[in-house]
Amino acid sequence: MSAINELAVKETGAARSTSDRRDRPWQVVVWNDPVTLMSYVVFVFRRLFGYDLTTATRLMLQVHNEGKAVVATEPRERAEVAVAQLHAHGLQATLARD
Amino acid sequence: MAQISRQGELVYLRMSRGERRALRQILERLEPLIDHSRWAHPRAYQEDEDEAEFQRLVGTDLADSRAADLTQVREALEGEARILLSSDQAMAWLRALNLLRLALAERLEITADGWEEKYTVQEHRRPPLATLHLLSWVQEGLVEALSVD
Repeated sequence: MSAINELAVKETGAARSTSDRRDRPWQVVVWNDPVTLMSYVVFVFRRLFGYDLTTATRLMLQVHNEGKAVVATEPRERAEVAVAQLHAHGLQATLARD
Repeated sequence: MAQISRQGELVYLRMSRGERRALRQILERLEPLIDHSRWAHPRAYQEDEDEAEFQRLVGTDLADSRAADLTQVREALEGEARILLSSDQAMAWLRALNLLRLALAERLEITADGWEEKYTVQEHRRPPLATLHLLSWVQEGLVEALSVD
């Protein structure tokens, strides 16, 4: 995980310049898959985003019942870090403009 | 049957030799399938240009972290029956088990919710479904142990 966590550091460096487009909030969207355990999804949401059990469970159920859920809205760089971390945990996640 | 519990900051797994051997075999068989799973190469963006930039930043981190997670599990299973995991190591196990479940699900052509009901009780008790349930059981146990405050 350390390498992916370093994405945050890379993002703040010279490798990517900040523009107006990037300053807009982006949504972190998690998509349903029929295999991943519900308890694991709740656990990952709590661990990565600091949600309490109720919030994490509600978001997990939204993913399960509606096919997807917005689990966070962040500046683009932070949203990308979140998506990379979700990918590292085996969840299907994408970014969308808020 | 294996036991999973929390001991202070550590997660404790106790597995018989047979259970450890079974998990090692599962890992050996499924690991080569992981990279071919349709879940193995997630996109962050729909637009190719944004996706290319994202992949440039992430680089090979995803593949590297997956390999490290699987190695942690493999090495622990080659040791003693009593396995003590730090929180970080237990997280590596969780991610690795999830990868193995996804790879097996791909082989079983599981693509939609409700797949459990397509199989008989007997089928659920035999491989490969029994393998999926074993992986689920260990993953659930680890989640439960890590969730204890």
